[in-house]
Amino acid sequence: MASRFNLKLITDNPAVVLATLTIMVVVIFLLVNRLVKRFSEEQLALGRKMYAEAQAAMASGKADRGIEDFRAALSYDPDNYQYQLSLARALRDTGRTAEAEAYLLSLWEHSPQDGAVNLALGRLAARERQLDKTLQYYHNAIYGVWTSNADNDRLNAWFELVQVLLQLGAKQQAEAELISLAAELPHRPDLELRVAELFTQIPDFDHALAEYRRVLQLDRGNVTALTGAGEAAFSLGRYRTADHYLQSAAKANPRDKQAAHLLETSNMVLLADPYAPQIYGQKRLGRIRAAFEIGGERLQACAQSKGVDLKSASTTTEPQNDLQSLHQSWLDQKRRMTRGRNGWTDEMQDQIMNLVFRIEQQTAQECGPPIGANQALLILSQNPNGVER
Amino acid sequence: MSQSGGALSGVTSSPGLAPGTSARASNGDARLGTDDKKRWYSLKSSFREEQYFLVLSVFIGIFSGLAVVCFRLAIEWAGIGVLGPAPQAHDWRLLVAPPLVSLLIAVIVIHVFPLVRGSGVNQTKAALYIFNGYIPFRTAVGKFITSALAIGTGHSLGPEDPSLQIGASIASVLGRRMEFSREKLRLLAPIGAAAGLAAAFNAPISAVLFVIEEVIGRWSAGILGSVVLSAISSVVVMRWFLGSQPLFRIPPVTFVRPSELIAYAALGIAGGLAAVIFAKAIGYLRPRFRAMPRWSQYFLPATAGLIVGVIGYLGAPQVMGAGYGYMDEAMHDQFTWQFLAILAGLKILATTFSFVSGTPGGMFAPALFVGAMLGGAVHGVAHHFYPHLLGTTASYALVGMGVLFAGFLRAPMTSVFMVLEVSGNYSMIVPVIVADAIAYIISRSLQRVPIFDLLTRQDGLDLPSMEEQREESVLHVEDAMQPPPLPILSSEEPIKEVLERIQQSTASTFLVRCTPSGWTTVTRDFLKRLAGEGKGELSLSSVLPASRLPYLHPDYALEMALRYVYQVPLVPVVSRADYRKLEGVISSEAVLSRYRMTENVPGEA
Repeated sequence: MASRFNLKLITDNPAVVLATLTIMVVVIFLLVNRLVKRFSEEQLALGRKMYAEAQAAMASGKADRGIEDFRAALSYDPDNYQYQLSLARALRDTGRTAEAEAYLLSLWEHSPQDGAVNLALGRLAARERQLDKTLQYYHNAIYGVWTSNADNDRLNAWFELVQVLLQLGAKQQAEAELISLAAELPHRPDLELRVAELFTQIPDFDHALAEYRRVLQLDRGNVTALTGAGEAAFSLGRYRTADHYLQSAAKANPRDKQAAHLLETSNMVLLADPYAPQIYGQKRLGRIRAAFEIGGERLQACAQSKGVDLKSASTTTEPQNDLQSLHQSWLDQKRRMTRGRNGWTDEMQDQIMNLVFRIEQQTAQECGPPIGANQALLILSQNPNGVER
Repeated sequence: MSQSGGALSGVTSSPGLAPGTSARASNGDARLGTDDKKRWYSLKSSFREEQYFLVLSVFIGIFSGLAVVCFRLAIEWAGIGVLGPAPQAHDWRLLVAPPLVSLLIAVIVIHVFPLVRGSGVNQTKAALYIFNGYIPFRTAVGKFITSALAIGTGHSLGPEDPSLQIGASIASVLGRRMEFSREKLRLLAPIGAAAGLAAAFNAPISAVLFVIEEVIGRWSAGILGSVVLSAISSVVVMRWFLGSQPLFRIPPVTFVRPSELIAYAALGIAGGLAAVIFAKAIGYLRPRFRAMPRWSQYFLPATAGLIVGVIGYLGAPQVMGAGYGYMDEAMHDQFTWQFLAILAGLKILATTFSFVSGTPGGMFAPALFVGAMLGGAVHGVAHHFYPHLLGTTASYALVGMGVLFAGFLRAPMTSVFMVLEVSGNYSMIVPVIVADAIAYIISRSLQRVPIFDLLTRQDGLDLPSMEEQREESVLHVEDAMQPPPLPILSSEEPIKEVLERIQQSTASTFLVRCTPSGWTTVTRDFLKRLAGEGKGELSLSSVLPASRLPYLHPDYALEMALRYVYQVPLVPVVSRADYRKLEGVISSEAVLSRYRMTENVPGEA
């Protein structure tokens, strides 16, 4: 009743009424402000707690629980970018791509320049094998805004894009991206090495070899680069170069069987190549003769394994299969070689080697890839312009 | 304004008055008592009443905003305290907490705050029309506590309607303490209601429209300014403390292809049917629940709480509470369309039980929830069959909210503006109007009585139905107007000539067109008496009184004529373009005859 009485007194004067109301507003405002502040702090704390629980759940493989906790964290701190992104990633990683995409798109609408969001969207698009969107979002990520360690994040996104494109079978786009990436790359052996390896995967051995060489300029003893350069050179048919790098790689890492095998093959190729520089006269003829004999033996072995009778083929006029035909050619060539014992013309040398190459290719087709000297001859046959001289 | 605003109008439009005629003053001062007058005379020296009232509206808005901020905090704290920070399906607390807290709520409602049952909208209307704007502060306190507990612990109810009532109660308390007149006190309730609703909904335009559409029932110039001021003040306070972000985030929504209107029309149909089911379920169950023995009233909220808890426990905790967070998720494609449809159905079920059990809480949020889920589901179905549709889930969810607002709450105008205000995007206006109109028509056809009117009738109150008021046809002067008795006399004519002219006429009273303007009447007997006195050569103007008759225009409401037809036998009805041009006359017999005719034609007026 007292308050009513007081108010009755003051209501006669509007200025007093308004002053009283203003004071009341200020007092209540301050009280509510304290309440809201406390409420907000509690909400943020709950958000952090739920986020931590969500991360723990995700780490222990409880994805559904983790997602629910991420959602709860977001309900307490709806604008928290980290929570939103984590939820979207969790949704994506658990295969709930539609939900993840919706969340990411919502984030993207708020900050379309955000690198992390674009990267997540790019991964999602890649998962759904949408090449255009993949390229679009990854490009956004590469040229977007990153909060910390931006250069590194951009490069990682770029590397990831190339790998994703390779997985999607888009080798042309991957190669284009990789060439651009290589041009932008700072001179760091680890990055050059990654680029070189990706070039190898495409495969683009020319660029791969160039990148490995750049690595070796910075780090001469880099075994991975030596091996990679050797392999790239080998794949390009540049056996002398391959031999050079592979020898260094083998010295640095004798346990690398792959490198050792390639080195051996390179050596054999180089030794078997009759057209190698500085190989003249009897030495060249010797290599041609040896190649001819090796080819003949390979033909015999292959025919035997396939059950083809080469001897009867030479005595009959019936239609022959490829191996029989090659054998016949081989016998004819041998006769000509015997007749021209004193000197083979260049033309004849080419004829012999052509026959050897045909034998190697045919037997590889019918009896599987050869090994040893035959492998070397087959490699030579696949390089019509000759191996690295 | 062509007609009176009824109980709420502070300004009454007057018909045109001829010079010298008096009409009753229609401003608020004339209705104040002696004490009030004294007070206002002193106030007027420094502060005019209307300005004072407007300033008070701002204070009402601020206080309501502060109360609603606290109310929202209370709901959150109640929820966290009882259900934990992240309630999820298969959590035992979902089963146990709602019924236990509901028992407590029932005890509080029955023994401490018996007036806090229900949503609060009808109670505010009752305060306006029955209790002269009186809403006890105790009701606001009770509503605050019980609604916060109910909504926080999972009852499928919303905070908007209670906020509306809390705002109205605060306004009522302030008005009473200021010792305003009865008329002003009546005005304060909707002002506070708009403030409370605006703060709860973070949408001042929708709140103002809803209060006008559903609580006041008609546009009233005398109150509109105050309602707007209070609503904006409360929203400013709310945003000051809780930020300007809406209750749910809305992704960009677009409407590109007109062909998509077919899908929105389907949403209107689905929403209209859902609204009818929702309203009929409440209309059917509520009186039956209320008719149960008194002891059972303690357990009804608990039963409803258990039903809601079971739904949450079994896998749909989304239906618990107001559900704004889940509306947000629905709009961000976080649910499949099948699950959205299930959620819409479960929400109707849960809200029906929560509401009919007498648990305090509102129906705005549940209606929006059902609409959003239904919209999302319709989008899913439409997109399944027509993948080329460009509309997003958010677009349909948003329109769905408007659809339920129009169909269930039967506030079509608010429904349209709410969607526009909440989305901040006017491109959706066509689909919203199409879908809302369809839902409204379906709802009106299948559920004649709007939900709020149904509830008031179940409570034994006879409050004016806003929908009926909106649609009633008003009789106008032209409906009862009759041809004037001929001849029409001129004030410049000599009495002798006039007597000759009226000789053929059977009428006893004649209209006289005065110079330069105005109308008056003269009787045959009066003229004969003057002629008998030898004044036949005098002009009419020299013998007629200077006062003029009041006149009406054909478009005036017929009730306006009632003020004059008992003062003068014939009231001229003149053209608005030319006051000397007589359209007809109106008499008391003609007015009564027209009203009698209306009573015999059901449906008219």
